[in-house]
Amino acid sequence: MTDAQIQPGPLAGLRVLELADEKGQYCGKLLGDLGADVIKIEPPGGEATRRVGPFLDDIPHQDRSLSFWYYNTSKRGVTLNLRIEDGRQLFRRLAARADVILETFPPGHLASLDLAYAALCAQNPRLIMCSLTPFGQTGPWRDYLSSDLLHMAAGGEMASCGYDEADAPGAPPIAPGGGNAWHMGGHFAYIAIMAALVHRTVTGEGQYIDASIHEACALTTEAAIANYIYRGETLLRQTGRHHAPAPTPRTQFRSKDGAYVTALVAGRLNPKYVKELAALLDSQGMPHDLHDPKYQDPAAIAANTSHIIDDLVANFIASLPAEAVYHAAQARGFTWGAVRVPEQLLQDAHLHDRGFWKWVKHPELGRSFIYPGEAAIYNGSPWRISRRAPLIGEHNTEIFCDELGLSRAELSMLAESIAL
Amino acid sequence: MSRRRALDGVRVVDFSWVRAGPWATRWLGALGAEVIKIEWPENERGRLPSTTTPQGLEVNLNTSGNFNDTNVNKKSLCLNVRSAMGLEIAKRLIAISDIVIENFSSRVLQKWGLSYAEQCKVKPDIVYVSMSGYGHTGRNHSYTTFGPIAQAVSGLAFISGLPDKPPAGWGWSYMDDTGGMYGAMCALTGLYHRNMTGQGQHIDQAQMVSGVPLNGPALLDHAVNGRGSRRTGFPPGNRAHWPGTPLVNNYRGPTAAPHNAYRTDPGDYNDWCVIVCQSDAEWQRLVEVMGAPSWATAPKFATLSGRLRFQEELDARIEAWSMTLGKYELTERCQSAGVRALPLQSAEDRVERDLQLRHRQMYLPIEHPALGNRQVQNAPFKLSLTPAFNHLPSPLIGQHTREIVEGLLGYTLGELRRGFADGTFWPTARARFPYLDEMLK
Repeated sequence: MTDAQIQPGPLAGLRVLELADEKGQYCGKLLGDLGADVIKIEPPGGEATRRVGPFLDDIPHQDRSLSFWYYNTSKRGVTLNLRIEDGRQLFRRLAARADVILETFPPGHLASLDLAYAALCAQNPRLIMCSLTPFGQTGPWRDYLSSDLLHMAAGGEMASCGYDEADAPGAPPIAPGGGNAWHMGGHFAYIAIMAALVHRTVTGEGQYIDASIHEACALTTEAAIANYIYRGETLLRQTGRHHAPAPTPRTQFRSKDGAYVTALVAGRLNPKYVKELAALLDSQGMPHDLHDPKYQDPAAIAANTSHIIDDLVANFIASLPAEAVYHAAQARGFTWGAVRVPEQLLQDAHLHDRGFWKWVKHPELGRSFIYPGEAAIYNGSPWRISRRAPLIGEHNTEIFCDELGLSRAELSMLAESIAL
Repeated sequence: MSRRRALDGVRVVDFSWVRAGPWATRWLGALGAEVIKIEWPENERGRLPSTTTPQGLEVNLNTSGNFNDTNVNKKSLCLNVRSAMGLEIAKRLIAISDIVIENFSSRVLQKWGLSYAEQCKVKPDIVYVSMSGYGHTGRNHSYTTFGPIAQAVSGLAFISGLPDKPPAGWGWSYMDDTGGMYGAMCALTGLYHRNMTGQGQHIDQAQMVSGVPLNGPALLDHAVNGRGSRRTGFPPGNRAHWPGTPLVNNYRGPTAAPHNAYRTDPGDYNDWCVIVCQSDAEWQRLVEVMGAPSWATAPKFATLSGRLRFQEELDARIEAWSMTLGKYELTERCQSAGVRALPLQSAEDRVERDLQLRHRQMYLPIEHPALGNRQVQNAPFKLSLTPAFNHLPSPLIGQHTREIVEGLLGYTLGELRRGFADGTFWPTARARFPYLDEMLK
């Protein structure tokens, strides 16, 4: 398909200015991959997130951070020094023609530069600005420092994750990896921005959004808050399964290939389920006693729960590779899954059927790399990665000269004065 | 309500159940959309089974606490969509709505006669968001998920845990919460696109698939550098790097030490804090907060490479100090000195002791007819012109059937009564709640 044939994404025509580090870059990527023209504005020398590894071929360089690559697709990049008045004036000119500004500075920073929303909105009343910060713009913690680990602790994630004492004696609560506090914040910020944009389609008005990552994390623990509010319960951490007010049967079982399978069995055991389980075990030649008529009595099932789960299901899974259990079980309607390492997804046929993996060109390297794609297929206005992450200041000329009308001489002067 | 909201005038037909779909539509409701939840008591999942009914209340379709929090800001229409009249009503509702959203497995709406093509016949610019486990296309589209399965299969569970231990995974359905986020994001994005272009569309969101992009750097590390996740020292628990293993970034930001959870006084189950120093200067500030003990001023801890090399000793020493303080006092001391530290917080901590969440009004009460006056969770963002807020408790099942069928769609009271008699609005063999009988008077 040539570029001309590609349908525009749902956010085509939208101009976003992103002044964001690890806290907001994912939100900016989502906007960009969905079709917005996202201009990433970095300080001279580049955003600090360019220094986060791993790096291409393990050679550290600000244009080789894979983390930066991933979280900054579909953006153009400029450098701009907001501490210098020339830099601020250029920013104001960009803001005058922007639809959305996404920023993650400490509260009050933009105001200290005379770039608060009120000032920017005065020249562009349609402007939507989202400040996505660790704790929001107000409150006793607003100036606290944070990190992904800190958010996972205070947000409640860690209180729910960890181990059965038998599996890892003395283990601490565990914060799942991958930087998910930033994802949680980014998802909610995206929702807030889209709501403001929808509102603007009706009234033409822009507005300011004060979004808090701590609150986003505190909202992302399923029923934990309800367990407390309605029942006063404190929840236990359990290996590979849900938190619970009292210990529950395990759901994660080791497979023949040393991996694991998550099999949700407890709480679902009834005569019908036992029959289906018997058929699943039969299909793989696994001996069992589930055809015993006693299992048509729920009381007998209840009395044998441990036998069914800890003997039969555990032994069945131990006899096969995790992927084989997963597909055999799902094919028979069991909601079970293999616990995969991330890179196994690169071989997942279903994802390939959905066109999930995207080749992204890195022309300066003469190479292309495969990237994860979209969470959802937009059938009328496709999600796509329009370009790899920008190199430092890659679009300075394009944006400041071609679009804002600066001369090359002015651009050089600004670069010399470290305004860029 | 006189306050303006972002989605005023938007109507959502919500077939969703269990958690991910209802969590999505809850936010559309908070933003001002009229969300009409279509449900049926015989195959309801979300209200029952309930593990969050308050002690002393009967467990029934209207007493799940978690359902209440997950379904605020909605109206309930009880409707047997598999009856001729039920299907007609669903279509008439779609015809006057903006968004249809559901999280059934991949072929359910089609089988009901409500495929995207059928929806378009009554509402050509409808935005249809399907939130299935694996999506509507792809060879495994008929596979099913709950949160833990989506987390396992997408690679998210594996990246949580200690080295050489089984995956700790996620202690809740993170992908129900996050699937809900993507459902709401798709609905809003589709709505914006419709408002700009006049075109609706079907957006095929998939819970398992949505987990995969959350592992981007790990996936690129494999695709680009050939580095696998099944390696010594990974995942590194709460640390950025596990001591004694090859030094490599583990996808949680810059490599740093200290970077861990530490016990605090009085040492109960949730008495932990986390401390992270991302620079030598931050470490020196922590040293000062700890009172500059001689161990901490030793040169071997002055550099990041030293702190990584002697991380076991470092963590043990820090914990000996942290155990002398409560987690909130430790946080206050560290943060006021510019050190990254926060308490580990249980749900009770968040609701009762987190002064920031209190200041931001995260948990405000709303009156529910069966559950009483209960705090529900508020939006983590404040829109200056059109703030999101919870304005309705979760609906009792079928609470708004008359309002919608008679008031919105224009059926007569007689037709409503006939629908109750023939099993369109409530199963004929099932006892009715008193408010349903009231509705027919």
